[in-house]
Amino acid sequence: MAEIRLSGVNKVYPGNVTAVEDLNLDVRDGEFMILLGPSGCGKSTTLRMIAGLETITSGDLYLADKRINDVDPRDRDLAIVFQNYALYPHMTVRDNLSFGLRLRHVPREDIARRVDEVAAMLGIGPLLDRKPAALSGGQRQRVALGRALVRDPVAFLFDEPLSNLDAKLRASMRTELIKLHHQLGRTIIHVTHDQVEAMTMGQRVCIMKDGRIVQVGEPIEVYRNPVNTFVAGFLASPPMNLLPARLEDGQGLSVVHGSLRLPVPAEFSASFAAYRSKPVILGLRPEDMYVPDAPGLVAVDVKVAAVEALGPETVLVSEIAGGAEISSRLGREFSARIGSIQRLHIDPRQMHLFDPETTSAIPRNHAA
Amino acid sequence: MATVAVSKISEIDRRDRRFGWLLTAPGLASLTLVITFPLFFTVFVSGFDYTLLHRSFDTFIGIENYRSAFAENYFGEALWVTLKFVVAVVALEFLIGFTVALMLNSVGRFKDIYYLILLMPLLINPVVVALIWRMFLHPELGIVNYLLGLVGIAKVNWLGDPVIAFWTVVLTDIWHQVSFMIVLLLAGLSALPKEPYEAARMDGASTLQAFIHVTLPLMRPVIVVTLLIRLIFAVKTFDLVYVMTRGGPGTATDLISYFIYRSAFFGLDIGQASAISVLLLVIVLALTAYLYRYMRSLA
Repeated sequence: MAEIRLSGVNKVYPGNVTAVEDLNLDVRDGEFMILLGPSGCGKSTTLRMIAGLETITSGDLYLADKRINDVDPRDRDLAIVFQNYALYPHMTVRDNLSFGLRLRHVPREDIARRVDEVAAMLGIGPLLDRKPAALSGGQRQRVALGRALVRDPVAFLFDEPLSNLDAKLRASMRTELIKLHHQLGRTIIHVTHDQVEAMTMGQRVCIMKDGRIVQVGEPIEVYRNPVNTFVAGFLASPPMNLLPARLEDGQGLSVVHGSLRLPVPAEFSASFAAYRSKPVILGLRPEDMYVPDAPGLVAVDVKVAAVEALGPETVLVSEIAGGAEISSRLGREFSARIGSIQRLHIDPRQMHLFDPETTSAIPRNHAA
Repeated sequence: MATVAVSKISEIDRRDRRFGWLLTAPGLASLTLVITFPLFFTVFVSGFDYTLLHRSFDTFIGIENYRSAFAENYFGEALWVTLKFVVAVVALEFLIGFTVALMLNSVGRFKDIYYLILLMPLLINPVVVALIWRMFLHPELGIVNYLLGLVGIAKVNWLGDPVIAFWTVVLTDIWHQVSFMIVLLLAGLSALPKEPYEAARMDGASTLQAFIHVTLPLMRPVIVVTLLIRLIFAVKTFDLVYVMTRGGPGTATDLISYFIYRSAFFGLDIGQASAISVLLLVIVLALTAYLYRYMRSLA
């Protein structure tokens, strides 16, 4: 059992700098949890408090229902993989891997066996007698991971372990970590600022901002129903378009932004009624815009500002007459001349509305 | 075309090199004058029976000065005293220095003030240090014996007793030079990466285990360099002994550098003194060469 629970946790640094505020999070046994947020949001501090490398100013931290605020890190039986790997520079890879086991007086044969197992699992067998200085970034990353694995701890803490790798290596390590989690079934808390990691790796993602949790949920759920404009603008690339708009009352409600006029689908009308004739923020995912027309879509003419052909898809950046710039994800065959007028079709059933004062999502009562 | 380009570059190269020589010439000339020449002259003199009573280079005696140095008991004695002194001074200064450096490294407030206080002795001229301590330790008039008297401890003859005098010089040297160790080791400690310590904590290391398995190995280069530099300087110690004990009582504090001084200016045997100087130079040179090679191997 390795359920990790944070209850009302605060971290205040000397000089009254609050890094983490009233954090409540329940990481289930065996769960792959992502802490996601921009730098300085307190996600690393949270991880380091769980590890025991930072003290908790107030609140409670539980590991398997035991309060561990004051338990020394070496008695918590958690393993951490650091962003910069933190290998022991003077030890060989073998000694780096076995250090923790040697300190725990594990019998020599068992150490050798565990090290060989982990080295084989991570493909670092040929490197065992090298020192960290003679390893590439990807190899060091594997050794750091191996050092955590070899101890067979109750849970793993990953502090942005992939952020120093190049894009290709990062993608393959991502897949390997997912497989590893599946294989070991251990609790993993993974800190990252990379929303692709968050979407693909985690069973649940916890989005943080300014030391507070903004939203916790399954990645796809968070993607579908962001609780506020911060989450909407943070997840996915390009992120949701957020446009200042008004909710106008003509024949039924419609959201107006420049020349774009989106009729509110009947099923949302009741939920949005309170904002009638008021300013709102309209959120539209780039992937909910199309070139071909289809039943239920609403047309809008936009002026092409840039066309980014990425290969598998093309991102169109364009301007709504009398309004702001929007991004749309279109098919790979799309092309247009800059400055030309393009007709896009938008799916109004995928609209999100946010309160411009609180930035919170205005709930819509329908099943997407 | 290519050959033209090459010769052009080498012409620039030549001019650069000439300019380089021009710039270093004054420095090289003065080094030759004050270091290289005396050095070779010493080696030269060591081959002659040259004394201040008989100042001529008419009697070349080869290695006789070296042979007689080893034949003489006093030289062996001086070597032994020097060895004891160097080991005692370097070992104790290292232990104290490392302990203080470790303590200072974890201090947050007033670090600069501690630093300043610790650096004070190092800024004082060794002759002044020796004079101050000679006065403090004077058996009748010194403040140390006076203070000891206040708590009922009998007067200690700090510089008059052979065994005590040796340790008095050692302690004075420690008082003077220990900050050198502290400063260098502290610089090394504060440059250590923080991450391996956090990794060690997660791996289950206690403070002592982290010190043994992380701090010491990572500090090894700094420790070796600090020890060697201090060793080289300790071998050459002269001022303290000259001012405090004149090598005495007996030969209790007769360090090799003071022994050289005595053979030259009391024994008036310049040839003999030169020979021992050359031996001392060989020792120091060997240590320096090792230090240099070790530092090169780190880079």
